[in-house]
Amino acid sequence: MKTAEERRTFIIHAIAEILEIEPEGIQGESQLREDLGMDSLASLELLSTISREMNVDLEMEEAMDIATVNDACVFVERHLEAGATGASASPA
Amino acid sequence: MKRALVIGGTGFVGMNLVDALLERGHEVAVTYRKKSITVFVSKRDVELLPGDLDDPESLVAAMRGKDVVFLSGGHYPRYSLDRRGAIDAGVRGVRNACRAALEAGVGRLVYTSSIATLERLGDERLATEDDIPAAAPAESVYRATKWTMERELEFAREAGLDVVCVLPGGCVGPWDARMGTGGLLVGTVRAALPWMVDGLVNVVDVRDVARAHLRAAQLERPAQRYNVAGHILPLSELLERIVARYGGSLPPERLDAEQARARAEAEERAAAPQRGRVPMPRELVDIITWSQPVSSARALEDLDLEFTPLDDALDGAHAWFERFRYLPKTSAQPRRTP
Repeated sequence: MKTAEERRTFIIHAIAEILEIEPEGIQGESQLREDLGMDSLASLELLSTISREMNVDLEMEEAMDIATVNDACVFVERHLEAGATGASASPA
Repeated sequence: MKRALVIGGTGFVGMNLVDALLERGHEVAVTYRKKSITVFVSKRDVELLPGDLDDPESLVAAMRGKDVVFLSGGHYPRYSLDRRGAIDAGVRGVRNACRAALEAGVGRLVYTSSIATLERLGDERLATEDDIPAAAPAESVYRATKWTMERELEFAREAGLDVVCVLPGGCVGPWDARMGTGGLLVGTVRAALPWMVDGLVNVVDVRDVARAHLRAAQLERPAQRYNVAGHILPLSELLERIVARYGGSLPPERLDAEQARARAEAEERAAAPQRGRVPMPRELVDIITWSQPVSSARALEDLDLEFTPLDDALDGAHAWFERFRYLPKTSAQPRRTP
């Protein structure tokens, strides 16, 4: 997964697999909890898949407050950049 | 013991066991599967190895060079709808793990069983490790599965494997991502349990269970089984304590045992096609209506164990559930239970 677009596609497919729904039904603005029915357990499964497959260390406390699919993608990109530069991924 | 493998080390008991092992300076490896929650354990200084109880080769590879293997990840059926399937899957996993341990030359296997394998005495006596039913309990898929899985260990013992069983009560504490007994706490605080059935329950801090595993691995001549049942109280008292301490409300409807079993089974049948969760799984109903107080005297003495007070155990669980949003975050401290 070299590009942000590939990573976005991966995240959407991972959400679809965990929730057992079709990826076509997942939009960027979809609310993970309210629209897609993702609970804490499903969130932890998603974060585990992302951190393993992308080899990225995620801030868990912050991750649990991610609201939308777009937010999840931005969150992952920020952590990947921080991992590459050695900086903290937390917002200043 | 220096090098330990924890099968199920990404799970509830397993994660607490990993932390207990690391605290004492052991080298720890953990197996994971595709759907394992690895985000927590991957932040620790452990070796993550692919391993599946249905893949004997992966087990042998993961066990090679290990002094002790902890089998804390046995089959745990979500529903109680398929007795034969649950028993077969459970036994297959234990058999594969034991054969792999023999092939890899592991020094000891510590197996996480359950007090649900014990006999229902039907009076006020506490059940001990020697109160084992002669046959798999007929009325409960969960208890029958756990009983049959543990019996499988006898074959491994006869083949020369050194096995110790730890039989926990209902565990509460941190890292309870899939919510077993902890689901009662979350359901009560969220006022989301529509009904309940009463009975005696045994509740233990999962960190005490982790310590028991560690000591069972280290004893030179351990017994074959150790009950780590914890605190004994009626479920209604436990839920009242939760409401008093963290808020929420008691389930509005109270059923008798027969009604509860029928309701739980009907709800599981309705939820199964979507793989949904039910508020009161049949397995939990079976354990509550089993209503058997259990003695932990052997573990307290041999394993030098002391149980964490129940309120502290509940606080540990509550804090973790808040931290990972199973419960809404509040700034309030738990109220002291009178």
